[in-house]
Amino acid sequence: MAKTILAVDDSSSLRQMVAFSLKAAGYNVIEAVDGQDGLDKARQQAVDLVLTDQNMPRMDGLSLIKLLRELPDYAKTPILMLTTESSDEMKQKGRAAGANGWLVKPFDPQRLIEVVKKVIG
Amino acid sequence: MTRKKILGSHVKRLLSGVSAHGGRHLTEVETDLMQTERLLEEAVERLTSSFMAIHQTVDARQRSINQLLAGGSVSDEDSARLSAMSGDIGQHVNAAITSMQFQDMTSQLIDRTLKRVTGLRDFLGTLSAHGDDLLPDSGSDEIVDRLGKVSMALAIQSLELRSVLRKSVNQQHLDSGDIELF
Repeated sequence: MAKTILAVDDSSSLRQMVAFSLKAAGYNVIEAVDGQDGLDKARQQAVDLVLTDQNMPRMDGLSLIKLLRELPDYAKTPILMLTTESSDEMKQKGRAAGANGWLVKPFDPQRLIEVVKKVIG
Repeated sequence: MTRKKILGSHVKRLLSGVSAHGGRHLTEVETDLMQTERLLEEAVERLTSSFMAIHQTVDARQRSINQLLAGGSVSDEDSARLSAMSGDIGQHVNAAITSMQFQDMTSQLIDRTLKRVTGLRDFLGTLSAHGDDLLPDSGSDEIVDRLGKVSMALAIQSLELRSVLRKSVNQQHLDSGDIELF
C-alpha cells in the first residue's frame, strides 16, 4: 500500500511541484496550506511523513512540528523541513523542535525522492 | 548647555536618525531587488533551456516511434533508446521543477521589500504628524520636547520594523539546496 505524505506549504505552486514529484514516485500526497491546516489534516488522517515549510501565515513549520510531537500518533512520525531557510541557527531550532531532517529550497525532485525513500521506504 | 545648543543637538540627532534609518532600509531594498532580479533572470534562462530540451527530446522520440511504426518491428536497441529518451525527458522536467521554485523565493523577497516600504511610509507619516503639531510660534522648550517625542516614536517604529524583516531567503542562485538528516 502506498505511503502517505503530508506536504505543508503556503505556496500553491510549491505544493503542486512537491505533490507532482512524490506522486510520480508512487506516494499518496495530502496538501495543507499552512501549519494550522497541516495540523488539522494530520489529526484527521494518519500520515507516514510530514514535509513542511517554515515561514507560513497562521502557523509556521516549527510550531507545527512542536504541536505534532505532542500528539501520540505523531511522536515518532518522520518530519522533514523543506524551506528557503538555510542558517545553522534555524536548523538547530528545527532539530530541537523534533524535525528529522532539513532540506533547503529549491529542491531537486530526484534528491527529494531519494531522501523520502531513505526515511520511510 | 544653552537652549540654542540643546535645540541644535535634538535637530541634529533627529536628522541623522532619519537619514540613517532611511538609508539602511533603502540599501536593503536595493539588495533584495538585485537578488530578486538575479533569481528571475536565472529562472528564465534555466526554464527556457529545460523547455527547449524537453521539446527536442519529445520530438526525437516521436521520430523514433514513427520509424518503428513504419518498420513494424522493435529491437532491444530501439527499446533501450526509447527508454533512455524517457529518462532524458524526466531529467529535463526535474530541472524545470527546480527552476520553477524561483517564485517561492522571489515572492518572499518581494514581501519583505513591501513590508519595508510600508514601514518607511509609516515612519515618514509619524515624522509628518509630529511636524504638523509644531506651531510656527512654538517656543524652544516646546520644540525640544516635541523633537524628543518624535525621536522616541521613530526609534520604537524602527525597532518594530526591524523585528518583522528577518531575511529568510539567502539563495543567490537556483541550484538545489543542501539536505541534512538529523
